[in-house]
Parts: sequence; C-alpha cells; structure tokens
Amino acid sequence: MPNTAPALNVLQEGDAGKPQPFTITIISNPSLERPLGSGNFVADSITTDQQAFDACAQYIKNALLGRLPGQRELFLADPAIGPCIRIVSLFVTGLNLEDANSLVGEQADLLVARRNVFNGFLIRYRLQADVAYAVSQSEINTRASAWYTSDDDTRPGVAYSLDGTTLYHRYYNLIPGMVAIHSSSSSLTALHEFGHALSSYTNGKIVDLYVDDGTGVNNKTGRPIPAQFAVYNNSTYASDSIRDGLGYPAGWQSYHCELIDPALPAIMDDYWQAPDGVPEHCQHDRITRQFLIDRVLAKISR
Amino acid sequence: MEPLKPETKQALLNNNPKATLADIEEYERLLAEQFNEDPDLPKSPERSIAIRERQERITELHAKLFRPKGVRTVSKR
Repeated sequence: MPNTAPALNVLQEGDAGKPQPFTITIISNPSLERPLGSGNFVADSITTDQQAFDACAQYIKNALLGRLPGQRELFLADPAIGPCIRIVSLFVTGLNLEDANSLVGEQADLLVARRNVFNGFLIRYRLQADVAYAVSQSEINTRASAWYTSDDDTRPGVAYSLDGTTLYHRYYNLIPGMVAIHSSSSSLTALHEFGHALSSYTNGKIVDLYVDDGTGVNNKTGRPIPAQFAVYNNSTYASDSIRDGLGYPAGWQSYHCELIDPALPAIMDDYWQAPDGVPEHCQHDRITRQFLIDRVLAKISR
Repeated sequence: MEPLKPETKQALLNNNPKATLADIEEYERLLAEQFNEDPDLPKSPERSIAIRERQERITELHAKLFRPKGVRTVSKR
C-alpha cells in the first residue's frame, strides 16, 4: 500500500493569535487493533474512504458547535467560545499496520481509543490536541467511547470549588481527552463523548449517567436523594430527584443534577430515549454545562 | 461511551432468550467503569486482579449478549 501524503484540513482556524489555541483534532484511524490488547493489527477501511472521513469530521464539528438540525445544546456555539476553538482534521493512509499507527482498538462492541499511542502520533504530524477524535470504519464495532483528559497538574489553571474542595481547570494536558468514533456516528454521540473527553481524571470527570456507577461531577450516589446536588463555584445546584423522563431504576444508588429541560434526558444520559424521538433536543444537565463551559474558557484563556 | 440504542437492546433480548435486561445493565456498567479509572496510574496487585476479572466478565457478557445470532450494534445516519 502506498504511503501517500497526509491531508491536513483546518476546519476552523480558532484563535490564531495564540501559540497553543484550544484545539480539537480529528484523525482517520490507520490501523485497528482487533481485539484490543491482542497485538493483532488490521487495516481500517476509513483509510481508503476519505469522503466518509471528511463527512464524519464535518459531523463532529457540527455536533460540537450546535449545528445539527434541531440541536438545542449550543454551549460551544457561544460567541465567546466557538470562534476560539481550532478544529483540524488529518486524513492519513498507507501506513504500516503496527502498534504506533493504531489509534483504535475493538473491545466487546466498542471502539476504544488507544491512549498510549496518540501523543506519539500527534507529535509525528506536528499536531496538538486538547481533545482528539480517531475515526474508524470498523465493519464489526460502531459504538463510540472516550477517555478523560490527563491534566498536567504541574502547570497553572483556573481554580474552582466543588463542594468545598478546590480543584483546577488546567490549561494543559499530559494526555488529551480521546474519543474513538465510527464514521457512521450520528446525532449527539460526538458531543456526548466530548463531555467525557474534555473532563479530567484529576480535576473532575463527566461520567455516563445511564449506568449506576462512577461518581463524577455530574453523578453522586446515595439514598434518599438530597434536594441539593452540589455547590459549584459558590452556586448551588439541585438534584434531579426523579431522573425526569427516564426514572431511576429500582435499586440504583446514583442520582444526578437538575436538568435544564426536565422533559428530556441529559446528554450524558441515554439521549437515544428522548421521549419526543429527537435526541438532538437533549441538553446537558445544569452542572455539566457550567463545568464544561468553565473548562473550555480556562483553556481558551491560556 | 455511547449508550446502546433501544432497538439494539431489544434485538439483543429478542435474539437470545437467555439474555436479560440485568445482563445488559451489568455489561453496560462494567464497560463504563473501565473508563473511570486512569489506565496509566500504577495499580496494586489486588486492583490488577479486579481489573482482569472485570475484563473476563465483560467478555463473558459480550459473548452471551452479542454472539448467539451475530447481533451487532448498528448506527443510523
């Protein structure tokens, strides 16, 4: 297979006046590890389908910037945020099927980003990322997943308080948040995974709300559910006592923050179950939205 | 992690009479759990064993839920 020249495409310039603008990088996955952890590398057919890759990159951009038809979650479209985000895509083809060129592995029914390979790959192409998406066209697995960011806690950031504890929206990362996504992904999937990937292992995780697990900024455990969910930066957030629209299953210990629109699930919850049948109408719960806004603003300000 | 689509859940149950909603919930919970722990942090021997056991259980549940009739998750565009 020929090692043809990579195609770098700046989908949005971002804050060109800054040496390291907040950056979202979207890459075609050269090689799939099948299954994850096996050391068996196969070609990812996205490398021969630039049209599908470009369409997926455009889809990701649209989902992030609130441009899907009917989309109601628009926090990144804010004029103080959206134009400052740099979005680049890289289409690469013809690379050897080996560990260093495999950004995605298949695990169970998931696509999983191969975290330890990403940084080296980005450096090779002189790219940086705060959040990176690897696009796969696996013929077996189509379900997206994400790893949180590993912050660089030795460098500055913007302090915030959560329930009396001081944490930081760090300016820089050691390992960017990473998403493995299928080229056929649709609706809010790219935005849901962005919520995970932008958040942090050490400074607050935005977790899935459709499983009874994983304490994070947006999820707590205990019964009975208290009226107050959290105090974030001196603002009090109420709990969602009934998980509006979906309901907490019997036996669950998790509970969530109040919703912005109680008629629809939160984006980090099961948005496919939007009762009006339009997942794009879902929005983040209140604390998730504010946390993500503050984290992006901190990174934009660096 | 992208939630399973309702139609996929239904297909898993329809295609495998031995699969239950509890299986799906456990499978989803275990998958989500693995992302919540920093994979680069050093692990105690006990934690490493627990992680290995979780992976084995995920594999077991995946086989039970997805393999009987080749049910796959399908994304619509």
